[in-house]
Amino acid sequence: MARWTERLRAFLFPPEADLWLGLLRIGLGLQVLFYALSLRADWNYLFAGPGDGLIGRALPEALLSTESPLIPRLGWLVMLTTRTGFSESTALSIVWWGLLFAGACLLIGFFSRASAILAWFVHLCAAESGGFISYGVDNFMTIGLFYLMLSPLPDRYSLDQLWRKLSPKDPQLIGFFRRVLQVHLCLIYFFGGLAKCLGTGWWDGSNLWRALIQPPFNLIAPEILIRLKYLFPVGGIAICLLEISYPVFIWNQRTRGIWLICICAMHVAIGLTMGMYLFAFVMIVLNVAAFGLGLGLARGEKLVRAPAS
Amino acid sequence: MLRGTGAYLACFVLHFLLIITISCRDIVWLVAHKLTILPPPFSAAAEKVEPIVAGTLGDKLSASNPLRRALLTYLHIAGIDRGYGYFAPNVPSGYKLVFELHYPDGRVQYELPGVNSAAAGLRIASLLDEIGRTRYDPLREYMVKTLAASVWREHPGVKTVRAVFGSLNLPSPAEFERGKRESYDFLYAYDFSRAEEPAKAETH
Repeated sequence: MARWTERLRAFLFPPEADLWLGLLRIGLGLQVLFYALSLRADWNYLFAGPGDGLIGRALPEALLSTESPLIPRLGWLVMLTTRTGFSESTALSIVWWGLLFAGACLLIGFFSRASAILAWFVHLCAAESGGFISYGVDNFMTIGLFYLMLSPLPDRYSLDQLWRKLSPKDPQLIGFFRRVLQVHLCLIYFFGGLAKCLGTGWWDGSNLWRALIQPPFNLIAPEILIRLKYLFPVGGIAICLLEISYPVFIWNQRTRGIWLICICAMHVAIGLTMGMYLFAFVMIVLNVAAFGLGLGLARGEKLVRAPAS
Repeated sequence: MLRGTGAYLACFVLHFLLIITISCRDIVWLVAHKLTILPPPFSAAAEKVEPIVAGTLGDKLSASNPLRRALLTYLHIAGIDRGYGYFAPNVPSGYKLVFELHYPDGRVQYELPGVNSAAAGLRIASLLDEIGRTRYDPLREYMVKTLAASVWREHPGVKTVRAVFGSLNLPSPAEFERGKRESYDFLYAYDFSRAEEPAKAETH
């Protein structure tokens, strides 16, 4: 038992450099910026209060309250801002600017921890208040930002580090948070792949066809897609196998590269053929941060032992 | 050695147990509702397992139970409140909502719920899926009414609005080659007027 516990500890707390964390911070900073900019024209329309906007945030927030009154929501931020005399519309714009600012700060690593918390909180509020209009990208952004704000920031590539010359973080703690992200990605792909394997449509390729011709994902004309109909079963099976076997092959040094390239290629294809650019980008960021860099230290790189935390 | 590894380890185990339980709950739900390729005995077994899995996530506790609320709050803030079965086990049918705008002079105009950007357009699809999946009629009507109100604000001269909600039928590759194209099945229609009268609903 003690041996197993030791092995588990060794697996969960490997000494790591913080390059992966820098990649995650920069990638999620870009993601937050893209997210905010892509919704700029519709932000107030999507998240308006009762009697205004598209669907409004009143109903999703009321439903959230039945689950738990502690789940963050835009209504809190709007209420705080309107109490200082701003209109609801201005309050929503301030929230949007806050998100954009947090994304920019994350990108350059300026007050990294505070920026990560701000980005996570504002994005979470928007995702929860827009519950009816959220999709996979919101889920994965929340996961990524949640891990990022808990990770030992700032990393050595951030502006914070250049500016404040902080003491290095414990390499084992850095390694632990990377493991968390890695294990989570393995579960995401395993269960995603398993659910797909249980449907008939992924084995005969019809799901791939349906996904590509269904509005609003139908960027490629079906007249063009039909010429590739013999590839759909192969593509469907490949996606199932790629996802369900991810937790096995991504850990093996020999197969990690090919699996990572294939998974990233799949997300690039999803982005380009279905218009889900934000979803594709966040998945690639998470994958590259988790598995894209060598799991050991780079050549010539030395870990500095940090004071015990 | 890093201090406090025990605490990190405990958090790790708890966090990932939650993720695994939620993912299993979603898979079990699919099997129990006969949405998978697994034969009927699996569905029967899944039906028995489903309440047990749901129970471990506090579903059987009252809505006001602090433990349940704390758990749900954590699941939401960590982004682990749902599983990862996107486009699975099969790609579901999409939905379409069309508004017929009736003007006092008898003119009829057709409108779709619209947004300015493609990124927000993807979110409209999520919204329509949500409306289509809703089994609670008053909630569906409220959502359609709210969308109708947004169209009405842009067309203030309209007398009545008829909202028609349908599901999308996609052709298979073979059907597409035979000339079949996407079509819509009528599901619900709601009539709204200025006087804030309750909507008159029609269903298929």
